[in-house]
Amino acid sequence: MMETDVLVIGAGPAGSTAAKHAAMGGAQVIVIDKKSEIGTPKRCAEGVSKDGLKELGIELSPRWIAKEATGVRMVSPNGTAVNLTEDKVKLPEAGYILERKVFDKFMAMDAGRAGAQIMVKTLATGMRMEDDQVVVTVESMGQKMEIKAKIVIAADGPESRVGRWAGLKTALKPKDMESCAQFEMAGVEMAEPDCIEFHFGTVAPGGYAWIFPKGDDIANVGLGVLTTITDKTAYEHLLEFVASNPATKNAQPVELNVGGDPVGGLLKKKVADNVLVTGDAASMVNPLTGGGIISGMLGGRIAGQVAAQAVADGDYSHKNLKVYDKLCEDELGESFKKYLKAKEYLLSLSDEELDDIADVFKDSDFETINTSEMVRKLIKISPKALLKLGKLF
Amino acid sequence: MIVKEWCMYCGECAGVCPRNLIEIREISLKFNEDKCKECNICVQVCPVQALEKRDD
Repeated sequence: MMETDVLVIGAGPAGSTAAKHAAMGGAQVIVIDKKSEIGTPKRCAEGVSKDGLKELGIELSPRWIAKEATGVRMVSPNGTAVNLTEDKVKLPEAGYILERKVFDKFMAMDAGRAGAQIMVKTLATGMRMEDDQVVVTVESMGQKMEIKAKIVIAADGPESRVGRWAGLKTALKPKDMESCAQFEMAGVEMAEPDCIEFHFGTVAPGGYAWIFPKGDDIANVGLGVLTTITDKTAYEHLLEFVASNPATKNAQPVELNVGGDPVGGLLKKKVADNVLVTGDAASMVNPLTGGGIISGMLGGRIAGQVAAQAVADGDYSHKNLKVYDKLCEDELGESFKKYLKAKEYLLSLSDEELDDIADVFKDSDFETINTSEMVRKLIKISPKALLKLGKLF
Repeated sequence: MIVKEWCMYCGECAGVCPRNLIEIREISLKFNEDKCKECNICVQVCPVQALEKRDD
């Protein structure tokens, strides 16, 4: 039986970041990933904020940055666009569109360089407690093995099976899981090629559609829907969106991605004896945008640090690990609560209401208008904004 | 459960399965059908309609 201090299950950005920081904290670390190639296929629109990468201390590499995005374009159901371009407003969320297939590998390489041992094509199939430690059964290229660990970090994505083996409620209800489909396309004709673009309304019931530019005429074109409020699949909605949108109607797909995005807000209990849950498995995803790369990595960093400390303490009990819940709440949970409110409001709007709001804001000079002025304008056209958003401002 | 050949192994079904019965491998998907109560949530969330309840 292999033995280690920390076993990380899943080498996405959250798992690799957890592994890196656990290793940097002096723990012996093994990371397993079920896939033969880390980061492939992507299940993601690939957008991150510059501030987020900076906060994480990630050194930028042209090998995984596809394009810089400097603005945001929001389009209402009738096609009215509100452009938050660089010349109009300084956006705190300006960012990059990544090449996830390369980025995820780079993050795993960082973990490896920090001292973590990486096993690819290795699937966790079960878990049990033994002498105050965890034994995880795995399969690697036809070989069944067992890995005994003091601490398991579950970074197994929206499938979130590992946390449940530890008795945590990581299963999601369909209303908290956006069902997503995306094409990577060439021949996309974007009105604002430096902006990430969002389309709201019945084009994507319970979610939104996006076009994220990847340079030249290439873009990720996708959407997320709540399967509780539509009878069509995410893929069917995507085909309709692509055919009807002026930017994509002549574009050609080179890749299809699908998957679930856990948007219900941060999982409350992410800690059990010897186990920490992180990343998508702990719903570390902004409930409004569905973005979870940076937040998953921030959570992963905390998980790695807490695990390393617990190894140093020689105490892997829930009691000694539970500081993780508090630290994640401070780092992510508080802001997610606000984003949840904002999402509730956004999803309550009819296509007509969205059109009216877009019409009011389309010519706004966002450089001269402050937040409270914007909210006043919004409440005038959409009185329920006061009720739903009032407490946030 | 019938898994259609166009399944993309994204794992969304596994994440919503209330009984944790679905194991997603890189290019296969395993159901623990003995314990399945046929709640059908997995069928409902699939982004590409790759799951179908077996008629028996």
